[in-house]
Amino acid sequence: MEQKAQATTRRFHGSKVVLYIVLTLLAAYTLAPLYFLLVNSFKSQSEIVRNPLSLPSLWDFSYLSNAAEKINFFRSLGITFLITLASLILIVVVSSLAAWIMVRNKTKTSGVIFLFFVSAMLIPFQSIMYPLLNFMDMLGLKNMGGLVIMYGGFGLSMSVFLYHGFIKSVPQGIEEAAVIDGANILQVFFRIVFPLLRSTTVTVIILNGMWIWNDYLLPFLVIGNSSGVKTLTLELYFAKILSGQYGSPWELIFPAVLISILPIVVVFLSLQKYFIKGISEGAVKT
Amino acid sequence: MTGYYKKWFYPLVLPALILFAMVILIPFLLGILYSFTGWRGTYFAGGGEWYESFVGLQNYVKAFKNPKFMSSLWYTLRYTVVAVIAINAAGLALGLMVTGISKGSGAYRTIFFMPNLLGGLALGYIWQIIFNSLYTDLLFGPNGIFPVDFFSYMLQDQTKALFALVIMMVWQTAGYMMIVYVTGLNNIPGDLYEAAQIDGTTLWQRFKNITLPMLMPSITICVFLTLANSFKLLDQNIALTNGDFNTRMLAMQILRTTKDTTPPDYGLAQAQAVIFFIMIAIITLTQVTVTKKQEVEL
Repeated sequence: MEQKAQATTRRFHGSKVVLYIVLTLLAAYTLAPLYFLLVNSFKSQSEIVRNPLSLPSLWDFSYLSNAAEKINFFRSLGITFLITLASLILIVVVSSLAAWIMVRNKTKTSGVIFLFFVSAMLIPFQSIMYPLLNFMDMLGLKNMGGLVIMYGGFGLSMSVFLYHGFIKSVPQGIEEAAVIDGANILQVFFRIVFPLLRSTTVTVIILNGMWIWNDYLLPFLVIGNSSGVKTLTLELYFAKILSGQYGSPWELIFPAVLISILPIVVVFLSLQKYFIKGISEGAVKT
Repeated sequence: MTGYYKKWFYPLVLPALILFAMVILIPFLLGILYSFTGWRGTYFAGGGEWYESFVGLQNYVKAFKNPKFMSSLWYTLRYTVVAVIAINAAGLALGLMVTGISKGSGAYRTIFFMPNLLGGLALGYIWQIIFNSLYTDLLFGPNGIFPVDFFSYMLQDQTKALFALVIMMVWQTAGYMMIVYVTGLNNIPGDLYEAAQIDGTTLWQRFKNITLPMLMPSITICVFLTLANSFKLLDQNIALTNGDFNTRMLAMQILRTTKDTTPPDYGLAQAQAVIFFIMIAIITLTQVTVTKKQEVEL
């Protein structure tokens, strides 16, 4: 009996070693394209063609600074950051307030409204983008402000759903006490309820932030190439289209992609625990 | 207190309702309406107002007779089947492996998740070069180290490009599904495995009879996410092949329909968009109903 147990443990350890080897190989496979991106961001076109995998013969930062200039890096980074931030604030405030009052005021109307929000999750962006753009144009909102409103509308459904699910488990006793103490409704919500929703707020910010930051289609339709003010992804798209007209596109594409993904990678590495938590909680509730 | 909440219901729900109406509801209804008209984007063919431009089901008939639309529809369906299976198999395998170790598990998870952060466009450009330079010139092309026809010039053939897209999407999104599967795996009570081990079951039996059934809620979610995302895929499709060699998927077809003809046929594009919505709704709702039935209650 004891012998058998020992054999099992040994086999177990053996399989652990195999597991580590396989995982490390897969991690290398996952990182390989990023390595490829990194080393080629410092090479000339001809060096990329000659030695695509080796380290650059010289760590030449001129390709990076050239790419930063071509995609107006600091301006487009700032614009992308502002759009993402404004959209997230809009989504968080509007959907948490609506979800809270829908949970607290349980009527038929509130149930129907909730159902409306949830079923909208099935509507893909592409199936309404043309009439949406047409309608926003009519309202004079085919601009940055309109972009934020559209992200707000699209982020709403899932966020209301997530907040709604969480608020159901928040006791309402403290709210009553605060009302008796003379707090107004916004004070009750923002001072007492909202801090309790922190974990859902993190989920909402991560899930919405990831797609808004990287989104290509909506800025393409709203801003396009006409205005000088573009998001990072949009700048990258137009840089790539233009690069075909020069003789050496790769020495622009590699560094342009590298600097455009750098900010979100830095954010992720410093807040990774929230990303992982946000995604697993977001998925469990949907 | 009930009266208090009731009094504040509309003021607090109103901002959400306005946003919802502006961005989703009104465009959705307008879209259905416009799909029955000769909409040209800035005007309506044959009349000043939309109701003077009614064409009945003509746009829908045109859509199903349009070889580009039909080709993108089949291509999307084929891609979706392969991608859903491949991404979920990879995500589940990663999940099983990272939960099988204790030391360093977090670092592996971080690495596997990382590609999800990057935009589809940025990634597509890099993978385009990887398929051209590494896959073709260095590894699998006629002058490569191990010539394999299937893996060379992958972006210049409809079927090969489909698998190129799958290779890239597995690389990018398997780590996301891994996180969802890990959450599910951690929720399976350990004593189930202990009891089964005492009964002398094999690893495969435990996987098939404990892990899989207990994991059904996570499978429902992950299949739903991959199904919807594969069907709606756009950025990566644009970045990798830009629809060349008949590799347009549905989302790109809807986007490019208005560039295919002059004057732009927004009516036709919108009819395709409505068909697109109906198909996504049917496919995802069916999937959730079917996989939900497989879930077990403890």
